[in-house]
Amino acid sequence: MIWRFGLFDGTFEPLASTHWALVAALGLPLLLGMLAARLPPRQAWPVLLASVPVLASGLMLLSAYDQAGPLRWQWDIAGIQLSLRLNGLSVLMLLMTQVIGVAAALYTPGYLRLSEPGPLSRWLWPLMGVVLSTLSLIWLATDLLTLYAALELMGLAAVGMLMLSAKASALVAGMRYLLLALVGSLTYLLGVALILGHWGRLDLPGLAEVVEPGPVAWFAAALIGAGLALKAALFPLHAWLTPVHESAWTPVSALHAALVVKASLFILLQLWSILLPDAFYAPRVIAWLGMLAIVWGGLLAWRTDSLKTLVASSTVAQLGYLMVVFPLLLGPDVAPLSRALAWDGFWLQLIGHAFAKAAMFMAAGNLMLATGESTLKGVAGTSRRMPLSLLVLGVAAVTLMGLPPSAGFTAKWLLLDAMVRSQQWWAIAALLIGSLLTAAYVFRLFRYSFYESAPHHHYQPLAPGMDLIALTLALAAFALGLLAHFPLTLLHGGGA
Amino acid sequence: MNAAWLPLTTLLTSLLAAVVIFTLPENARRLRTSANLLAAVGKIILVGLMAVRVSAGHEDTFSFQIVGNVDFVLRADALGVMFAGLSSLLWLCTTVYAIGYLEGSANRKRFFGFFSLCVASTLGIALAGNLFTFLIFYEMLTLSTYPLVVHAGTQKALDAGRIYLRYTLSAGVVLLLGAVLLYALTGEHSFSSEAGLGNYLADHRGLLLLIFALLVGGLAVKAAMVPLHGWLPRAMVAPAPVSALLHAVAVVKAGAFGILRVIYDLYGIELSVELGVTTALAVMASITIIYGSLRALAQQELKPRLAFSTISQVSYVVLGVSLFGPFGTIGALAHLLHQGLMKVTLFFCAGNYAEELGVHRIDEMDGAGRRMPLTSLAFTIGALGMIGLPPLAGFITKWYLGVGAVQAQMYWVVAVLVASSSLNAMYFLPILHRLWFRTGPAHGQGQWPKEQRLGRLETHGWLLWPMVFTALASLGAGLLAGLPFSPLDWASRVAYGEYLP
Amino acid sequence: MIAFFEAIAAFDVIEVLLALGLTGSALVCLFDRHLVRACYFFVFFAAAMTLAWWLLGAPWLAAAELGLGLGLTGPCFFYALGHVLPSASSSLERDTFSEPGSRVAMRVLLALAWFGMVGAAIRTVIADMAYSPLEHPLLLAGVVIAASALGAFALHRHLLRRLLAFNLLGSGVFMLLAGVAGTSAAAQAFISVGLVVAWLGTMLGALLIRRLLHLEGVEALGRDGNPKESAI
Repeated sequence: MIWRFGLFDGTFEPLASTHWALVAALGLPLLLGMLAARLPPRQAWPVLLASVPVLASGLMLLSAYDQAGPLRWQWDIAGIQLSLRLNGLSVLMLLMTQVIGVAAALYTPGYLRLSEPGPLSRWLWPLMGVVLSTLSLIWLATDLLTLYAALELMGLAAVGMLMLSAKASALVAGMRYLLLALVGSLTYLLGVALILGHWGRLDLPGLAEVVEPGPVAWFAAALIGAGLALKAALFPLHAWLTPVHESAWTPVSALHAALVVKASLFILLQLWSILLPDAFYAPRVIAWLGMLAIVWGGLLAWRTDSLKTLVASSTVAQLGYLMVVFPLLLGPDVAPLSRALAWDGFWLQLIGHAFAKAAMFMAAGNLMLATGESTLKGVAGTSRRMPLSLLVLGVAAVTLMGLPPSAGFTAKWLLLDAMVRSQQWWAIAALLIGSLLTAAYVFRLFRYSFYESAPHHHYQPLAPGMDLIALTLALAAFALGLLAHFPLTLLHGGGA
Repeated sequence: MNAAWLPLTTLLTSLLAAVVIFTLPENARRLRTSANLLAAVGKIILVGLMAVRVSAGHEDTFSFQIVGNVDFVLRADALGVMFAGLSSLLWLCTTVYAIGYLEGSANRKRFFGFFSLCVASTLGIALAGNLFTFLIFYEMLTLSTYPLVVHAGTQKALDAGRIYLRYTLSAGVVLLLGAVLLYALTGEHSFSSEAGLGNYLADHRGLLLLIFALLVGGLAVKAAMVPLHGWLPRAMVAPAPVSALLHAVAVVKAGAFGILRVIYDLYGIELSVELGVTTALAVMASITIIYGSLRALAQQELKPRLAFSTISQVSYVVLGVSLFGPFGTIGALAHLLHQGLMKVTLFFCAGNYAEELGVHRIDEMDGAGRRMPLTSLAFTIGALGMIGLPPLAGFITKWYLGVGAVQAQMYWVVAVLVASSSLNAMYFLPILHRLWFRTGPAHGQGQWPKEQRLGRLETHGWLLWPMVFTALASLGAGLLAGLPFSPLDWASRVAYGEYLP
Repeated sequence: MIAFFEAIAAFDVIEVLLALGLTGSALVCLFDRHLVRACYFFVFFAAAMTLAWWLLGAPWLAAAELGLGLGLTGPCFFYALGHVLPSASSSLERDTFSEPGSRVAMRVLLALAWFGMVGAAIRTVIADMAYSPLEHPLLLAGVVIAASALGAFALHRHLLRRLLAFNLLGSGVFMLLAGVAGTSAAAQAFISVGLVVAWLGTMLGALLIRRLLHLEGVEALGRDGNPKESAI
């Protein structure tokens, strides 16, 4: 399992241009964010211009991986070994981060212009830069120290971003998120302390060689798992998630739900695959919790009256899909074919959900901005007045429901295939029930939008492109479903 | 020589139409109408081209890999082209009709956009070359018809939409499970492969039965087989062109067509007979036929009566499939086309009565033949065809089904056919009697519920001519059944391709 | 590891005193009703931590603790209390505590579970500690501090208290880390990063608390997650 993370490959020395691409991919978002804090962009085009080199760096890394295979970087600083690796998975995650980050950044100027956010708005840019830079670092890092530092910085910046709207409810929710995230990171640190004390190594490839199953590995995995699960809002540690999104700004919500929670999950899977290879109980516990998450998240989203809570609760359920796959990825006695299918399905689901969730937050934000309402009833009749926003919401919802032709569907197909082959009937039932529940809450929203007898509000016109950005993301999730072959080939190139 | 572009372009025609319609502003009526008609005509030409290529022995295939062992395949085979031809022809008629029907009402952009998407999905279903591709378009059809069903935006429409989704999405989940189980058992299995699943019979009999039950169970919801038919009568709140499309082509036929694919192209007819599933299916279909007719008899309004008649008529297709033998197959395939033509005519007529005269109930139709002679004539053709009077299209299918039943030595099916035909007569003849032989408002007695003068003729031209065309087509399909490229001819071609490889 | 134990043995008495001082100040800081006094004790605790790092032979960490813990994190608390800017209100003197008994019991149970887990983990890593816990007074202090801080974190609703509890929890975990992994370069790097994170988090928290006080008044700090509807 662990070889799939590409920790052991990379014999080639990266080219000089690749070094620069790496530096750009890691540093540029931060630098541009700082710049934007000095000169906040009022239009989308400067953002577009600035994002060209960022995307170019990602594409350069992709082509470097394409030509030379997995790459590694290593530094020895004061006796501590820091290392990065670039394999298919990290390239894929990096590109996803950059595309969604750029989309959120493009969306921001229009949003800020229309929503009159107050003096704090200029802080959004540097925080966004920190989040994107640290996310990119997390996908690449292969030692516990870099992972820890990047995770913490990302978490703090994310908390900062979420609270910029400065409403009292946002502050209270944000404070809770901050405290829980900090405690989560201390739990993670304690797990790392056990690893460091027992094996004395920080680099993941080295650890993967020396770790043997035993109480120390179990305790470390439990501590790290608990800390990261708290940060990733995995059920039942998800309670902080919805209040935080309730009053946050739209682009912030989009970034957070699409990317930030996924980073913790990524680290969790990577570390567990080192600490708990072929463990029986731990992945099963996660899977059972995942089934509960699917049902509970679905019910939460179904019962709510608030548009943003609906979108945020659906994250809980969608993360449940990913949790259900854990036994197939980490468990013992899984046939290689099932494991490969589950691996593909896991990442496809994660990426598809990231695109769809970002699009959905943006579409929901557009609806709320235009109508000035934040409840489901408030969007009644919008199908006539704002068909495009609603269409985006619909296209994104198709991915969440896992209906074709979307990444959600292809991922679900792969996962179901893997589960059928390894006869995990409970997981299959959870996945299928999850689709129906998702459909239930999504169509509850659409039902309101089709009301013809709704009163006619005054609608605020949106800035140009706000719908288009969201539509592009939603369609990207579609394209990923039909053209899944290419990203999945990248995943397979992790080395073997 | 493989013209991969042909099926793809055909599919893209309506998808592109949908995109164009969605980007045009709401009040760009002329542009939208031209885009719609252009796409519809273009698609008929393309499907015609495909038909020519198929009869010349080519099977144009477009495919690419999605993941590991799953491909996206569009293939123009005889059966698919038959269904594609039906859907594209009726799409043109229905589009013309809908343009007239929705004249001046709100949300036309949304309507026509999803209408095009709906037809694109139907075409995708027709051309799908494997189960995965079929599933993609099958679910797309569910999604794109929902906005059409709830188009009116009233409480009743929204409730109907909810029921519709409950049935179809649950069915989709069941179908997905069946498809995944099948893929896990056999790997990629194209509709065009000759092998069938016979190899797996020895070891996996139970699993094959389970998969069959899941697949057909999922498909039977859209085909509105009893007891999974509950959504169809409720969906009658949709505008008349939608009902016409739902009933005649898109949704119910997609279900029936899917069952055809599963039995002929996935399992193979011999295996199905050996598993004993065809008999079960025949019994289910017979129950549906009788039950639908009985319920139709009890309806007092025109559209619900037609809806229950659809439930009953679509199961003829399933019944024909489950009769092992070429005649049953020909009957089933021909009925797929004939029923589409006749039912669409009937719904057009019902829409015309409602628009022009405000007539919804059957007892309001007295003497309408005098006021709207062409409409009533078309209705008569459709109704008599449904009953199965020679030489109309319906007679041919019932004849072939009867012969097929005798050949398969399932004599009770003949009894079902006779009973159903007499029930058909019992619920259609009174309407015809009212239309032509009773005196009503047209003779100066009483008033129409809500009369409008929509055009110089008996009603608006956009409403009239599509209906006249489909009525003539269903007449022609019966009279000229012997000519090449008639529905019967094409059905026989498919059937003999199936039995005489 | 061995060298580390020998190093502590030399400072036995001072170390025991230090451990007692750390634990005592931490407990006061965590459970004193008077907020300002609790903050003063935090400063005292940070100073003791600096000394402890020095004794453990990690001068860089001592410097970091002095700069980050004492110099930067401590003032954050006073800022949150309104003791830095004279114009700000200083209505935050004490916190009140009114929780239903069942919730208190549940939280204490949670904290105990955590305590058990940490203890068991340490036991498995450092086997000989199980037999002679008193030989490692600082490690023992770390366990006690971490456990009681988590208990306090779970128990308190007041945001400033929770922030304080988090900081002490952090210090406890750092001590455990140093005890388990020694003061190798890697461990020092981890602790330094942790100190920076703790400072940034505390600063963010303090800013938030000020802002919340400004918007909602003192009661807002006592409630966790349920702001008044009218205030939104």
